[in-house]
Amino acid sequence: MNRVLPFLFVGAVLVAWEAAARSGLWSPLLFPSLGRIGGELASFLSKPESLGEAWVSLARALGGFALAAAVGVLLGIVMGRSRFVAALLDPLFSGTYAVPKLALFPIFIFVFGIGSLSKVALVFLECLYPIVIMTYAGARDVHEKLLWSARNMGASRAAILRRVVIPATAPFIFAGFRVAVPVAMIVVVITEMVSSADGLGYQVIYALSSLKTDRMLAIVVVIAVLGYALDKAVVLLRDRLIYWEKLDTYYV
Amino acid sequence: MTRIFLAGLGLILVGNALAAGPLIRFGRGFAAEEQVWLMSARPDLTPNQGKRYELKQILFQANPERFQAFLAGELDAGTAPGLAVIFARAQGMDMKIVASICLEAKGEQYFTTTYMVKDDGPVKTIQDLKGGTIGVVGIKTATDLWARAGLINAGLAPDKDTKVVPMAFPVIGDAVRTGKVSAGTFVEPFYSAEMAKGGLRKLFTAVDAVGYDHELLDIFFGEKFLKANPDAVRAFLADYVAVTRYYLANTEQAKRDLHKAGFVRTPIDIYLKNADWKRDPSARVDVESLKRLSAFMLDKLQWLEKPVNVDSMVDLSYLPR
Repeated sequence: MNRVLPFLFVGAVLVAWEAAARSGLWSPLLFPSLGRIGGELASFLSKPESLGEAWVSLARALGGFALAAAVGVLLGIVMGRSRFVAALLDPLFSGTYAVPKLALFPIFIFVFGIGSLSKVALVFLECLYPIVIMTYAGARDVHEKLLWSARNMGASRAAILRRVVIPATAPFIFAGFRVAVPVAMIVVVITEMVSSADGLGYQVIYALSSLKTDRMLAIVVVIAVLGYALDKAVVLLRDRLIYWEKLDTYYV
Repeated sequence: MTRIFLAGLGLILVGNALAAGPLIRFGRGFAAEEQVWLMSARPDLTPNQGKRYELKQILFQANPERFQAFLAGELDAGTAPGLAVIFARAQGMDMKIVASICLEAKGEQYFTTTYMVKDDGPVKTIQDLKGGTIGVVGIKTATDLWARAGLINAGLAPDKDTKVVPMAFPVIGDAVRTGKVSAGTFVEPFYSAEMAKGGLRKLFTAVDAVGYDHELLDIFFGEKFLKANPDAVRAFLADYVAVTRYYLANTEQAKRDLHKAGFVRTPIDIYLKNADWKRDPSARVDVESLKRLSAFMLDKLQWLEKPVNVDSMVDLSYLPR
């Protein structure tokens, strides 16, 4: 039953959408039917150049995310294990977490140009925060008894880091990744909507400018599926790497 | 006693509302629509306003949002580039162009949207834009159309030979100077401000690109509103034409009034010096230019899936004779 439930809910939403679209209360230009969206989706997926646009966005999102993961995990662990570094960086991260980094995009364009680099850089910055903050929390939370035991058994600092701290922090790191992955997709699409000549965000704005809401929603479906697939990939990787932790959540 | 007072007050309010005529919820933009703004900044110039119609102007940053509000029933009319209305009609939206606001026209006395490059940069002709990037204000906007028309005329393929990238007007000047884009789109007041800074050179204009004078901005009304309130629309357009004539005869004073009323944020000395687009004193629409633009959008740009009947899209019968 638990496996069927999400599909039931999605089905109910789709039925409600179709009923609203057919009610005649709204213009089909604002509220297209599922048939029209499906037709545009099929047309989008059948064109190789459309898949190329999806790949461009995906590469930008993954590029920024990978950089943020590498830097964020390193920073988070160092902050978690060093009071000095935490005192230095914690105010910076907590003080600027709420800043909408997208507002900085025009500056990024001037520094990194209009192409992919400015978008990857902004994805990196937006993804960095959740990864650092979650990793920091995890690294600080490593149980003292585990550290004492490792020291008593003669483990070096490097061995403690590799065999105790990182494994104990791993669930937090993946929690940060799960927050950051959809952020990466959102930031890429928005930046491509603002200033780009390719990618899914550009396709969204192109469809909107043509008043083709059905096409725009078809691209939104593609973005949603990509986001879902990326999240599932992170969960799969987490379950394989952190096999000792039971991490079922209400939505996994 | 209180009931009698409230009933009397209600009657007065209803009476006033009926006497004032229907409310026109009007979606406006932020550039080149001086006559429209003046109708709200100087209501004393519009004798019918408040009597035969009420006017509420609502600011929109872009055309898609304005049309979405129209589709959602939140607007009765508005300003829009002619080509945006062609897109809207292609999708079956029930709107008609009823008057012209301004045109892209050749002539020393008129401003026309200009594409500029770095003065000491490598781009000397449009052909030199091969492998480069042009900054426009939005995809499938008039600025996008002119950029693509300029490239096509020079034998270049837009997107393939030269990228066309959207960016906000205020940043285009620095983007060209720093080489982030090879060429950029400049309209007033940004054109005058950037020219004053120096370092930029004109490459081509909107009129050069398409080869003829053409409609830039128009006024549209929903067909339902036109049918339900023809007298209010006539009264509105009579006031609009009167204000246009006032604006053309008293441009400096009109600009000062608009600046004072907050419709324009450009420093007043720069705003007063700006060259202006061509504005027809009788607000009549150049239908032939819209037909040619529509054919260009269909044949050369593949922006339309099928032809649009421009004649049925324009109705000038509401303008004063």
